[in-house]
Amino acid sequence: SSQLSSLPLQILLYVNGIYYIFYFLATLAMIIYKSQVFSYPDDLLASDLAVLFLMGILEVPRLYLGFKGNLTEAEAPLGLSLGLTVGSVVLCVYLLLWQTYVLWADVLLSAVLLSAYGLESGLKVTAIAAFVS
Amino acid sequence: PGDTRDAARVRSAPAPVTDVARLCVCDLLVAQCDVNCCCDPDCSAEDFSLFTTCSVPVVIGDRQLCSQKAAVYSLDVEANPPERIFKLIDQVNPSIFCIHATNYKQALYLKTPEIPTPENFDQLLEKYGGASFRTEPDSWDLDTDVQNPPEANETSRYEYGAPVQTEDAFLRLPSPVVSSWCSDANPAGFLVNQATKCIRSVSVEKCDSIQALSMLFYINSSILAVPKSSQMVNITVQSIVVQSVNGMRTLLSSSDVLRLPMVLDELCINAVLGVKYHITHIDMGEIIEAAAAFVLGAISKEELSIEQSFEISFTQENTQPVALSGNPGYVVGLPVRAGFQPQGYPFPAAFLNKHSQLTILHSTSTQDCLAAQGARAPVLFGYNMISGCKLRITAAMKCQPLAQTLLDVLKGQSFPEYVASFGNSQAQDVLDWVPITQLHISEQMISYTLQSSCQIPVSLGIEVKWTKYGSLVNPQARIVNVTATITTTTLKQLPSGRERIIPITSSVVFTDISAPAEPSYKAWPTINIKLPFDFFYPFV
Repeated sequence: SSQLSSLPLQILLYVNGIYYIFYFLATLAMIIYKSQVFSYPDDLLASDLAVLFLMGILEVPRLYLGFKGNLTEAEAPLGLSLGLTVGSVVLCVYLLLWQTYVLWADVLLSAVLLSAYGLESGLKVTAIAAFVS
Repeated sequence: PGDTRDAARVRSAPAPVTDVARLCVCDLLVAQCDVNCCCDPDCSAEDFSLFTTCSVPVVIGDRQLCSQKAAVYSLDVEANPPERIFKLIDQVNPSIFCIHATNYKQALYLKTPEIPTPENFDQLLEKYGGASFRTEPDSWDLDTDVQNPPEANETSRYEYGAPVQTEDAFLRLPSPVVSSWCSDANPAGFLVNQATKCIRSVSVEKCDSIQALSMLFYINSSILAVPKSSQMVNITVQSIVVQSVNGMRTLLSSSDVLRLPMVLDELCINAVLGVKYHITHIDMGEIIEAAAAFVLGAISKEELSIEQSFEISFTQENTQPVALSGNPGYVVGLPVRAGFQPQGYPFPAAFLNKHSQLTILHSTSTQDCLAAQGARAPVLFGYNMISGCKLRITAAMKCQPLAQTLLDVLKGQSFPEYVASFGNSQAQDVLDWVPITQLHISEQMISYTLQSSCQIPVSLGIEVKWTKYGSLVNPQARIVNVTATITTTTLKQLPSGRERIIPITSSVVFTDISAPAEPSYKAWPTINIKLPFDFFYPFV
């Protein structure tokens, strides 16, 4: 067939978008819970919240470029989306390992998100290879 | 080398112990085995065989961590002899919100305090050196030169406990601080009724120069009506009582003349022995009147210190405070309220004069009945009391006046006729007052003569019968019956030159005559359903 757009990538991007909304709200709620229950100094709280919001800001263009690149079968937006994914992965690893308090729920959510990012990156690379050739 | 070693030692506090296997909170005795403390390292197997339980079963760190070490101690009572079991296990917190890891080291441990060093000592002293650790210490400055920055335009009012301010500093109520010596730096608190007694060192030569002995010291600075205002209330002299060297007090008729201490015949007269402040206020925390009643006395040359007593009481304008002894039932320890019934109305006896309280004789150190002038103690509810004195009878004493004097000694100047049944009985409620029944018993020897010899009272026994009144859950004490029994005995005529000593006693006994309580229950609610008269209209 002449269709080069990757269906699994499209499904994954869609599911990733929904999951990310849940991840963002859950992590924000847990940070609020931690600040009430544990002793959370203000500077550390500020840095954790900054990382979370930065990740949220990055996610929007990342997903948009991914959708656009896959549907128009263009490799440039998809490549840009891949770059932004690397940034998101770094921020997610921060929330998994270097947050002030890492709860077990944090570990679960971040692990799922990281695996989604990993799978998505693999599919993007395959799609770019298909579009270029 | 000694200095540097000390410096190095001071710089770091000992590291906290975090190994659960070595932590033991019940190990209080050093090098001895604590009873039922299974984690105590000083205990041997024989000690463990005597334990019954483990007071500390588990030693664990922060329970919020997902997985941590726990030391579990238990006693195996089945084995013979009982032995202690120690297990080091990994405790897992199943909650999904358990702490998996933390990158903030102080999160799970208490903060180690800063060790003072020469560099940070001043800063630590400033922060923690005061009596409280607030950021703005409220310093009470006596120095009027230091101006406090004026606060907002609203005038503040006196609150309960706030020091009563005067022109220069605050109204002083000298009181003993730490030891019994008077300290003049104790401020009187607004609405805090206080009575203090303290000792002041005096000397007759310098008696007119010691400020605290002069009346002026206590009344010269006017009280501010509201804090930080310019409205002044002068302290007026309400009354002056002069106490003579042998203890007798006389009330002076004119109290407007200021009597200052002066030296007269090796005595220092007009020295202040006691001050009673009466402050009148309105209900918005503003003082409108202040009066002081003084007791002046004389100090002899031998006395190096005198005891001064100070009292302050606050009353609201246009009210007559009557101290209640309970609301409504009597409270143990509060005085029994008593009064008289002139023309059909009992008056409560505690209207600022104590002469009509129910009192009994107060034993004095001299124990001489005829010298115990007016020493009486109020009868407190629930407290059985017994007191007495010794009467020395000589041949010269006449019976009739002696009997009357003894009656006065036993009963006091004004023995009340009625006692309040409840702690808060009002004067108008005639039925709330119980009459005092007076009985006379004479200890007469039967073999004695028909000649009516004179009887002298030798003992007064007041028996107060009270009952529990009201609900089972909150019973109130109510006085039901008061009986005052005077026991008299015949005074035998003594041969001249001989004298006899008779003991005179007075006692108060409180007897509980409560009937056993019967619980009663509310009636069950009944459902009363009736159809209206015309319910089946138009069929019926």
